Amino acid sequence: MHAISLRFCMGKAGRLALILSLVSVLAFTLVSLSPVDPVSAYIGIDRMQISAEQEQRIIDRWGLDRPAPERFFIWAGSVLRGDLGQSMIFNEPVTTVIGKRFVTSLWLMASAWLLSGVLGFVLGVVAGTRRNSLTDRIIRIYSYTLASTPSFWMGLVLLAVFSVALGWTPICCATPPGVSPDDATLWQRLHHLILPAATLSVIGVAQIALHTREKTIDAMNSEYALFAFAQGESRTGVAWRHAVRNVALPAVTLQFASLGELFGGSVLAEQVFSYPGLGKATVEAGIRGDVPLLLGITLFSAVFVFSGNFIADILYGVLDPRIRIGAEEAK
Amino acid sequence: MRVFNPLSCKGLSFIFAVCLLFLCLMGGSPAMAKDTLTLAVKGEPDEGYDPTLGWGRYGSPLFQSTLLRRDENLNIVNDLATARSLSKDGLVWDVTIREDAKFSDGTGLTAEDVAYTFNTAAKSGGKVDLVNLDKAEATGKYTVRLTLKKRDTTFINRLISLGIVPKAAHGPGYARKPVGSGPYMMVEWNEGQQMIAQANPHYYGDKPYFKKLVFLFTDEDTSFAAAKAGKVDVVVVPQALAVQTVPGMVLHPVKSVDNRGLMLPCVPDEGKVTDKGAPIGNTVTADLAVRKAINVAIDRDMLVKGVLEGFGTPAYGPCDGLPWDNAEANKFKDADPDAARKLLADAGWKDTDGDGIVEKDGVKAEFTVIYPADRQIRQYLALAVADMLKPVGIHAVVEGKRSWDEIKHLMHSCVIVFGWGAHDPIEIYQLYSSHHAGQGWNDPGYYKNAKVDEYMDAAISAESYEASLPLWKKSQWDGTTGSNTRGDAPWAWMVNLDHTYFVSEHLDVGVSQVEPHGHGWPITANIQKWTWKD
Amino acid sequence: MSTEALRPTLAQRLRLMDGRGRAAWVLVLCLAYFAALVATAAMMSESGLTTDFLHKKLAPCLEFPFGTDWLGRDMLVRTVKGLTRSLGIGLLAASVSSVVSAVLGTLSATLGRKTDAVVTTLIDLVMATPHLVLLILVSFACGGGATGVIIAVAVSHWTRLARIIRAEILQLKQAEFVMVSRKLGRSPWWIARKHMLPHIMPQFTIGLILLFPHAILHAAGLTFLGFGLSPHNPSIGILLSESMRHISTGYWWLAILPGLSLLVTVKLFDVLGNSLRVITDPKTSQE
Repeated sequence: MHAISLRFCMGKAGRLALILSLVSVLAFTLVSLSPVDPVSAYIGIDRMQISAEQEQRIIDRWGLDRPAPERFFIWAGSVLRGDLGQSMIFNEPVTTVIGKRFVTSLWLMASAWLLSGVLGFVLGVVAGTRRNSLTDRIIRIYSYTLASTPSFWMGLVLLAVFSVALGWTPICCATPPGVSPDDATLWQRLHHLILPAATLSVIGVAQIALHTREKTIDAMNSEYALFAFAQGESRTGVAWRHAVRNVALPAVTLQFASLGELFGGSVLAEQVFSYPGLGKATVEAGIRGDVPLLLGITLFSAVFVFSGNFIADILYGVLDPRIRIGAEEAK
Repeated sequence: MRVFNPLSCKGLSFIFAVCLLFLCLMGGSPAMAKDTLTLAVKGEPDEGYDPTLGWGRYGSPLFQSTLLRRDENLNIVNDLATARSLSKDGLVWDVTIREDAKFSDGTGLTAEDVAYTFNTAAKSGGKVDLVNLDKAEATGKYTVRLTLKKRDTTFINRLISLGIVPKAAHGPGYARKPVGSGPYMMVEWNEGQQMIAQANPHYYGDKPYFKKLVFLFTDEDTSFAAAKAGKVDVVVVPQALAVQTVPGMVLHPVKSVDNRGLMLPCVPDEGKVTDKGAPIGNTVTADLAVRKAINVAIDRDMLVKGVLEGFGTPAYGPCDGLPWDNAEANKFKDADPDAARKLLADAGWKDTDGDGIVEKDGVKAEFTVIYPADRQIRQYLALAVADMLKPVGIHAVVEGKRSWDEIKHLMHSCVIVFGWGAHDPIEIYQLYSSHHAGQGWNDPGYYKNAKVDEYMDAAISAESYEASLPLWKKSQWDGTTGSNTRGDAPWAWMVNLDHTYFVSEHLDVGVSQVEPHGHGWPITANIQKWTWKD
Repeated sequence: MSTEALRPTLAQRLRLMDGRGRAAWVLVLCLAYFAALVATAAMMSESGLTTDFLHKKLAPCLEFPFGTDWLGRDMLVRTVKGLTRSLGIGLLAASVSSVVSAVLGTLSATLGRKTDAVVTTLIDLVMATPHLVLLILVSFACGGGATGVIIAVAVSHWTRLARIIRAEILQLKQAEFVMVSRKLGRSPWWIARKHMLPHIMPQFTIGLILLFPHAILHAAGLTFLGFGLSPHNPSIGILLSESMRHISTGYWWLAILPGLSLLVTVKLFDVLGNSLRVITDPKTSQE
């Protein structure tokens, strides 16, 4: 764990700060370009109900009557103080909305993440050990086809089969109708998770499977594998005893590095299943022009992606002795 | 192999566990105790549940109660009020209210609250039509006097639709946490998802059978899916889905005065904008011949059959079948593309460049039809009508908009698929009176006809409701002019809907009244009478 | 193509057995598919798109192989038209994106460290948020519509190809034959034209083609979410998002068939790109 030196962390923190500030500038520029008038974007439908003084207070608070660069600094200032503003479509502070929604999404993303990781890994190892066999071909065709499949369509198909035709799974939402999220039992939650998680994992499976397959082939052709073969071990034995160990960490690293795609995929999956998570909130915010929420989610997703890459980097350092030794020598 | 075996064992047991879990889940959801009713009947108000801001403007506000109400047969009966009287000159209403009414927080409802509600609503303007209210004052603990600026034959409808709010608990947050004297009180509202209400223990009327109501605000399709899965007891479905069967539920079609029409801007585009910056006018629909041609070309029977699956009737005006409807004069022969083409040709619209669209003075007969994207029926109507207009030489581009804000911005310059329909003639005034043109949702197309205005003003300040009816009718068509298709054709009315609900076969919802346009929950008007039978 | 003197078997004559020959065939077939698709879309009359209440909600049958929708519109016509529209949008976006990547990749590799740092940061910036979030942001900025979708896809997909081009040029700059040319006094322009371009072009073309599937899928996804096109003009995203409304009522063909055709089309672009790679890659020339 020497790779995680103080300097490494400091460097990463600086990087995060840089990325976040650039992302804020970019996101803010983009939303300012939109044809929506900033005052209605902040107040929205409430504009008809609130009094003129209240409206003025909000305008002053966010500088809505000033030019965009000035608005940016006012916004950035309050973001630094932890205030992302008020979401107009949910009528709650943006931080609360993101927090609540993320917890819901986390269930989905975590299970999809695990599912795609495990499934992709197993498929990859199996394909890699039996290179060019029928199994390998099937797995490869399957993975390549999955990679071209629109995940939202996949969701629709699953919905048509399992929810409509067979009636096994619920057709929408994160909890049964009429049950508030706090009262839902674990079973109910899992039941509602099955299809969205399966849909979401589709994206990841192909990538992990193909990557793991390559790595397994390499490992199977390595000297220590040859040595093991010479000692009379079977292919499967070598694969599970030797190769897996060497292939697993790169796979986990890759899984962490693809958190961005997972997040993006959850937007589509949540839309198909009306799953009230952060992805659905993103779409709502975009379509109904909830600028504070859209900005907040953008920042949050950047942090999310960054954390994934950060963990991947650390794992990569742990994994690859050259980097670790390099870091030690640098000291 | 030694290593592989335990692993595969683990794998197997994992799969086994997953299968088991699956089986458990398939075992079905726990049976709901039947003091809870789950409804997916749409009607989530953007603005919240504050009657002074327009909640329940079509009646039956659920959380609040009103002075008067309409029964199943649309007769006006007392609710909070025990007696009412209107002075000879038609300017002063004296209402006595019951003494046992309490708000859901336990405080008593007094005349002060009634006066406060009317005064506040009158000030908020826009949505609630209390422009003619001068002042409301409590004359005793349980008597209230409403004074009008001028005679208003439609004013009694405010006593029916305006829910009374408690003076003490009314404030900025009220719309999201309403307190009222209605049969139910709000427990929890997750905006965009669901709302839970429970029976108001202090309600003065018949205790409702169901202790708890859950309103789901899922979209039309999800609601239907939930119904198919047996998760809801009452669901409103688009008419197009009413031909489906839902296990365990029966179709409950309810007559309504809810209609759908195309609003056609009546002024040409001269580059003007409203104070909010919305463009005004549409040069194509400003031509009377185009508006009439649209009206004549539409095949209303086909719309009813094709889009509504027969759950509706053709609409020839905004108030078909209501006492103030000038039915004879409003009817005309439609589905007549030849007549439409002739109307256009006579007015100088010709297809000179051979693209199938007629032009006049260099302007193509083209316009955009806007509908709210989440309403299936409106989309289908718009698409079908666009196809009916094509052979006539009119090109209608159909576009869905996600939010009413966007539609508000476009509604003075584009054709909009609107829905209206109330048990109240004031609606004709809102649609056609030029006095409030462009304000709120009133007369968005800037239709103006002095004669029509005159008739409507006269109708409102007529001596009595009965005396107002002929005037309302004349405003639609007096033999020479009017707001119907024969006259200025400012709208192209398409269909009147039946509201189609699927109701659990165990649920008895009694006799539903003829429903108004679907804001709020009209089906709950008689909710105290609903019962469950096994 | 073949110059063998001996009489080859049919398979040999068609070069079905060797990697390159097969790739060439696959390439031709893919191109034929796209040509057929575009031609069909152009020839199909608009009549299938108009509402026809006599033939609504029909399951796939001989007359309507893809069935009809709620308003009696022919789903085959809608799918073909929608597919070409989605393809068009995807191709346009991918092309714009590839031009951006070519320019930025080249600049970054040739203009020195500062430019390089700027471009790399720009790449990091675009990669910092999930694609879909960026897509939503950009199309929000453009106020929706087809243009919004195209711009959104274009600005979010150039990073990968730009990185490839940058790396390729950096590598080439160090290559011996380039060094020699430089020593011989060739102008940078000559080097770029004669040495760099022939190496970069195949990479670029393949990168571009492999960009298509992503661009098409993301454009369709964005439309599916409700950003962009009007339902009057069918695109695959619209068809699928409409079908979502009907899937619970058992009208499966509205979702399955258009989605399947999108899948096939996207897959073919993938195959196309990979075949092209096989053909141009010197490593496989002997296979």
